[in-house]
Amino acid sequence: MKKLFLIGIKDLKLRFRDRAALIFMLLTPFILTLGMGLVTGRFSGGDSSGISDIPIAIVNLDNDSLGDALVDAFNSEDLADLVETTLSEDPEAARLLVDEDEVAAAIIIPAGFTQSVIPQNENALPNEEIRIEFYANPSRPTSAGIIKAIVDGFMARLDEMRLASMTSVSQLIMSGRISPEDANQVGQEMGARLQQNDAGNTNEATAITLNTSTSAGEDVEFDVLSYFAPGMALMFLMYTVSYGGSSILAEKSQGTLPRLLVSPTNSMQVLGGKIFGIFLTGAAQMLILIGASSLFFQLKWGDAFGIVLLVLAAVFGATGWGMLITALARTPAQVGSVGSAVMLIFAMLGGSFTQIENMPAIVQTLGKITPNAWAMDGFTTLALGGTLTSLARPILALLTMGILLFLISAVLFGKKNLVQK
Amino acid sequence: MKKIFAIAWKDAVVRFGSASEWLFFLILPIIFIFLFAGGVPSGDEDNRIRLVVVAQANTPISQEIISELEKSTSVRPELLSLEEAQEQFNSRRASLLLIIPPSLDLRSIQNRTAQLDFRQPPNDMDASIAERAVQTAIRRVSSSINAANLAVEEAKARGTFESAEEEQVYFNQALELAKSLQAESPERVTTIQGNTPDDFEYDPQANVSAGQLITWVFIPLFGISALFAYERQQGTLRRILTTPTSKATFLLGTISGQVAMAVVQMILLVLFAVLAFRLNWGNPIAVFLMLTCSALAAAAIGTTMGTFIKSEGQATGLSIMAGMLMSMLGGCWYPLELFPAVMQNIARILPTTWAMQGLLDLLLRGAGVVDILPEAGILLGFAVLFFSVGVWRFRFE
Repeated sequence: MKKLFLIGIKDLKLRFRDRAALIFMLLTPFILTLGMGLVTGRFSGGDSSGISDIPIAIVNLDNDSLGDALVDAFNSEDLADLVETTLSEDPEAARLLVDEDEVAAAIIIPAGFTQSVIPQNENALPNEEIRIEFYANPSRPTSAGIIKAIVDGFMARLDEMRLASMTSVSQLIMSGRISPEDANQVGQEMGARLQQNDAGNTNEATAITLNTSTSAGEDVEFDVLSYFAPGMALMFLMYTVSYGGSSILAEKSQGTLPRLLVSPTNSMQVLGGKIFGIFLTGAAQMLILIGASSLFFQLKWGDAFGIVLLVLAAVFGATGWGMLITALARTPAQVGSVGSAVMLIFAMLGGSFTQIENMPAIVQTLGKITPNAWAMDGFTTLALGGTLTSLARPILALLTMGILLFLISAVLFGKKNLVQK
Repeated sequence: MKKIFAIAWKDAVVRFGSASEWLFFLILPIIFIFLFAGGVPSGDEDNRIRLVVVAQANTPISQEIISELEKSTSVRPELLSLEEAQEQFNSRRASLLLIIPPSLDLRSIQNRTAQLDFRQPPNDMDASIAERAVQTAIRRVSSSINAANLAVEEAKARGTFESAEEEQVYFNQALELAKSLQAESPERVTTIQGNTPDDFEYDPQANVSAGQLITWVFIPLFGISALFAYERQQGTLRRILTTPTSKATFLLGTISGQVAMAVVQMILLVLFAVLAFRLNWGNPIAVFLMLTCSALAAAAIGTTMGTFIKSEGQATGLSIMAGMLMSMLGGCWYPLELFPAVMQNIARILPTTWAMQGLLDLLLRGAGVVDILPEAGILLGFAVLFFSVGVWRFRFE
């Protein structure tokens, strides 16, 4: 066991003294993560921090109860963090703000809107169509969609009240409980009562109760680098394991591997030590990259114990692939080129460049053979505040992958008599 | 001339001596173009907030709620089984979960016992937006039942019903009336799309074909640095000193050989895009001009890198790193238009940005030779600048 450990540590030291290897193992993934941060706006307060302060313009030409209520709703405490409202008196100016991409939407409440919904005099038509104009910014579909949903919610409440008043009054007349002459007065009283009940009360008036429960844990805001940093680290982890594999073949061709066997060390110890060295190098690489991104990018990776376990499982799975490539190759150069190809393909299939959910279904299925996809799943879960228990699936998958690949590699190594004297 | 050709030919023989070179020359670029074309965000995706819905109640009310949620402009419902939804929610892969229990039906709403479960993370803005959307959906679905309930209450306030049956009949009549009134409800909001300029042109296949072409050609051309470092390490450069070959002849032979191979590689990838995606690259002379200028710029940078980097291993690593980084920042992987404004400006100092812009001018905007002259000119400027530095600093030893 001691020999195995010593061989592993020796390989770890060798790898970290090799400047060319360090460029691939540490510098490149770090620089690419930095690049991802720059292009996604992570370092310039861009779109990675979630939706907030959506700028909108409201023009209230109604100046009556419903128009005022809609303006109040957008200025309420509830929406203070979500919406940044600008009041305007000129519909054209508000539309111009949208056209110039200054706001996500303009809401224009026309004169007579309240009157069209709740007629105050008998001459008005109850369903006369005076519509609110929602002038949306097509280049900000998400923000405009959210604002539209808020307007729709307001309108749904309004319609519910109108429906309740009209139904109640009509039924009261039909059942003879009130006379048609009293209808207007009863309707207005009821409308006022419903409006009073609804004021400042957005949720309770529905006939279906919505029980809201909040999951345990801290408030977590997803950081876009929480996706790309592990993506890049895992891509270059595949380089490390294949490079480590090529060193086994290099030692064989250079004669240092048979020379080791002259010492009182058996072939299993030598091969085990070499594999242990690759595993240690991969784990060190991942932990250094995680530490560096935490330090320089203030990236929160999540539960520390979970991270360590996931890193070990991911490196185990990746080392399995490194061994398989080594077992199938004849020369160190072959391991290098096939390893690089596998590194890039796995990075693509595992979601290092783009979220795997955006890929075609066949690619998502193929991605399951890569340690990248499973580890990414785990890292994303942890970054979102997941705990150790939620890592069971990715860790189990990575360990199974590693064991299977090691078994296949062992059979192939045996056939090749890799460490024979 | 013969010497230049001999050096270029020797490099081609060395490079393609291993069959694995074809992996990087053609096979991987094609795989990447194919996979990336289906997976890069275009900006047209459904960006509504994802809401996982478990519909345990197989009732019309439940279906109406889901249908209302699908119409929402802020949330995107995704139906899952209870087990899968809980597993995703617990593992934080789904942050918002709505459960419609089996007991949800007309009777439960009438009795005011109907309940839905909405699970959310703490202090989350998306959760608050989604909660509003769910409230709106259930309000729309239940408002007629709510109106009938209120009608019954109003009636009770003016005298009791003689029997439970009479109350139920009153409720049913009110419900019918409320439904017909709801059906006649006028639209209250008109949505108009503004005239915000949106000049973001994007075609996944065109962007990916051009972007991957640049990535896979720039990296090996930066790799000229590794070629120089290798020959210097092996002593073969020194050996050339003993032959009647000048520095200029050697450099010209090496660089022109690599540029020629890069142009062939690019032409093959252009042809692949034509065959696989039926892409129209436009004027062949303009395409050839852009490809050659891009290759010259990349080769010049590789030459300069080769004069600074000492070992082959380091040169290989740095070439790949620089190639990937420049491709990423130059908009070859993700559309430049999606970058923050400041990054779009910074990216202008990179040759990959101009190469990408030139190719997209050809692919998306139908540009001709004259239109791409600015981009070609800038790339040639890069080539002149970096070749000058490279030749000036180049040493055989």
